[in-house]
Amino acid sequence: MSSTFFKTIGIRLWTSALVLVGVSILIFCIARVIPGDPARIALGPNATQEQVELLRERLHLNESLPVQYFEFVRELFQGDLGMSLYTNRPVTTDIGDFLPATLELVVFAGILMVVVGIPLGVLAARYRDKLTDNVVRLLSLLGVVTPTFVWAVFLMLIFAFYLEILPVAGRLSQGVDPPPGVTGFYTIDALLAGQWSTFGDAFSHIILPATALALTGIGQTARLTRASVAETYDKPYVEMAQAYGFSDRRIASKYALRPAMIPSLTIMGLDFAAMLGGAFLVEAVFAWPGLARYGVETILHKDLNGIVGTVLVISAFFLIVNMLVDIAVAWLNPRIRLQKRWAG
Amino acid sequence: MTAPLLQIADLRLAFDSWRGPVEVLHGISLNIRRGEKVALVGESGSGKSVTARIIAGLLQYQRGARISGHVAFDGKDLLGLSERAFRDLRGTAMSMVFQDPTSALNPVFTIADQFREVLGRAHKDISRAEARRRAAEALDHVLIHEPERVLASYPFQLSGGMNQRVLIAMALANQPALLLADEPGTALDVTVQDRTLHLMADLIEEVGSAVLFISHNLGVVREFADRVYVIYRGRIVEHAGTDALFHDPRHPYTRALLAAVPKISGEGLPDTLVETSDAFDAPAVIHDGCEEPPLPAGMAA
Ligand SMILES: Nc1ncnc2c1ncn2[C@@H]1O[C@H](COP(=O)(O)OP(=O)(O)OP(=O)(O)O)[C@@H](O)[C@H]1O
Ligand SMILES: [Mg+2]
Repeated sequence: MSSTFFKTIGIRLWTSALVLVGVSILIFCIARVIPGDPARIALGPNATQEQVELLRERLHLNESLPVQYFEFVRELFQGDLGMSLYTNRPVTTDIGDFLPATLELVVFAGILMVVVGIPLGVLAARYRDKLTDNVVRLLSLLGVVTPTFVWAVFLMLIFAFYLEILPVAGRLSQGVDPPPGVTGFYTIDALLAGQWSTFGDAFSHIILPATALALTGIGQTARLTRASVAETYDKPYVEMAQAYGFSDRRIASKYALRPAMIPSLTIMGLDFAAMLGGAFLVEAVFAWPGLARYGVETILHKDLNGIVGTVLVISAFFLIVNMLVDIAVAWLNPRIRLQKRWAG
Repeated sequence: MTAPLLQIADLRLAFDSWRGPVEVLHGISLNIRRGEKVALVGESGSGKSVTARIIAGLLQYQRGARISGHVAFDGKDLLGLSERAFRDLRGTAMSMVFQDPTSALNPVFTIADQFREVLGRAHKDISRAEARRRAAEALDHVLIHEPERVLASYPFQLSGGMNQRVLIAMALANQPALLLADEPGTALDVTVQDRTLHLMADLIEEVGSAVLFISHNLGVVREFADRVYVIYRGRIVEHAGTDALFHDPRHPYTRALLAAVPKISGEGLPDTLVETSDAFDAPAVIHDGCEEPPLPAGMAA
């Protein structure tokens, strides 16, 4: 890896930080201009005007917007996102509780998307215009056009209610204690603690929501990979590989796939990040105690600190995913990795 | 007389289209003996590349390509061979050099990686170190002076001429009995092309491969080939020893072709002759001593 490569990553880190500042200002202002007095909503109709005024004072709501923002940033640097008016706990505690559940769901769905979507796309491209291709294309189209919450309900009905082979809701069965928290991912924590039955329980709970969340991404990834690999099949270097007798499997999984991944990886990264949005519906259907549900509750309750905290975390997630994708693209593409001039 | 290394008889090819089959080759016959250099010349679209691709087995298994006739290579019937058996021939008994060297190399793998894969075709369990040593040696043969640097490079880091040398080295590394050179290096500029073609000629001489040399460049053909086939619209129109063809062209198309050359710089053929003539459809002229040998027993129709 060249030093220019790390320099590029460094620049990306800085721009990401700038984007976060921008997002925080934006969401900070938006949260404050939605009508309704947050203090009044939080305290309920029975609170006295003095109590409301006291809370407004504590939240700096009587100051001008710039002053409020300054206060917010000052507290942020002390690792404090303020109190949630909805849960009455520090927002950081809330996020610490709910984020791992969502991340676990999204990461599982992301793994499914890559592990199922890419091979399907490669298979379709390798057997272009044959039966395999048509079947894959039909299935992936189905995955793309069917909304995530329909998948969620559909999967739940079939596997949880009708076949009764997978649990209906939640992260763990009743009576099963969460494993000692290290990562907050119940599956991984259970493995780390060697609690096999807890792992099995957590795993069986995540299968349906993760699949429901992943299906759109799987379809999208399969279509993207198919198109991209099919295009590289027309490149002279693939014909050269064929003329030199490289095996079809090796050509499909290596010589055609690797160049084909470069353009599709960026879009796959966006699809993956977008799963965080789709996660809300899935969390709602499967009663999954995640951040997406928390975020919606904070908005409904005009919980200023909760809204800003949630949005910041989601933005940071997008930026991190984006950066990881950029690194992966650079790793796949020697032209970027070596930062030389582009030739053709 | 022993059977030729490659013998094509009455090869026909049509592509399916929505208007029905489109005939591209109308019964080509052609042979190459071991170690012999045979040129195939003709204008654009005359069917040179498809002929090479059939020999390399790249068209046989493609839907929509209808092929009939006989293609025998080293005692094997190339039109009846299974895909798997054909793959065993490619990269070992026959190999290919492409028109545009830079796009023929994979952009995301180093030359070393690609070279190792090629060497692995003939030497199944070749080690990384051994492959690298042999690749460096092969690059040395095409006058690449810093083989280690080139091996560590990606194609886009090298010049077109350098990539062309790499391709030539790869094509001959496994000492194939037959090399298919489809307008090698036409994408390069003329002087670079000329230099690498001479390098290729020398290396072929050394390895002893037979060559089907497809070219637009009559100057190179004249210098390089033992025999020449002239192809026009999917038919062979003249077949002669190189000297005979250039001194005594007999078919009207060949004459028009040779007459057209001095007008174009670099001795390249025009893409198509401006004038066409009914005379071009005259029967093929086969010079004395250039008759096609009989098909090997068991392969005749
Ligand atoms: N896969 C294909 N499907 C349909 N038609 C094809 C296909 N490949 C080649 N052809 C047609 O076959 C004819 C011969 O093509 P070929 O590539 O052999 O020409 P060529 O002699 O190599 O020309 P050039 O000098 O331009 O390379 C052309 O008319 C071409 O359009
Ligand atoms: Mg051609």
